[in-house]
Amino acid sequence: MSSSKYLIEPIVGWRLWHVRRHDDAYRLESFTWHHVSWPARTRFEAECSTHGQAAPVQDHECGIYAFRTRELAEDLLRRYTGVRQHYGRPYQELPPLRQGCPIAIGRVSLWGRILARENGFRAQYAYPYELFLIGGEDDLAHELRRLYAVDVWPS
Amino acid sequence: MDIGAPETEHEIEIAPLEEPVPVPAPAEQPVEEPVPA
Repeated sequence: MSSSKYLIEPIVGWRLWHVRRHDDAYRLESFTWHHVSWPARTRFEAECSTHGQAAPVQDHECGIYAFRTRELAEDLLRRYTGVRQHYGRPYQELPPLRQGCPIAIGRVSLWGRILARENGFRAQYAYPYELFLIGGEDDLAHELRRLYAVDVWPS
Repeated sequence: MDIGAPETEHEIEIAPLEEPVPVPAPAEQPVEEPVPA
């Protein structure tokens, strides 16, 4: 059974992004949906191939995903890349990150219509709140900070 | 991303007073230099 709750403060979750170069600038890209680029200085809006802008829809898997905790995002990072990241202290557990393929772990603001589960959320709108860069240099952190106007911490 | 079992899902509606999207700070206006008499 679903119950609806109304709030005015955004929910802040945790998630991962790939950081890839698009033409002349780096962009955040969704971690599990490749080549879905997050726009800078404007909200990212969920869109579903079945439900369009009605996403997220119940009994479907559409929407913008985020975890409730950093630990859950770190666990996904470890499973995908073998990089263990614990509050800014990385160490290698499995094969290292490929050179030139930086990843960002960070907090993300979620708002609009949100479907909450035990470990995370599917949201209608999102924007990065704070990023921790893994496998990127200071210059890249600076560029992302300027582009998205959020705090970006190099690893 | 494994966010948990679908049967645990419940809906939340969030209408923030302001969208949490940062905008660049306005550029500072240059202070006019005093001109020596």
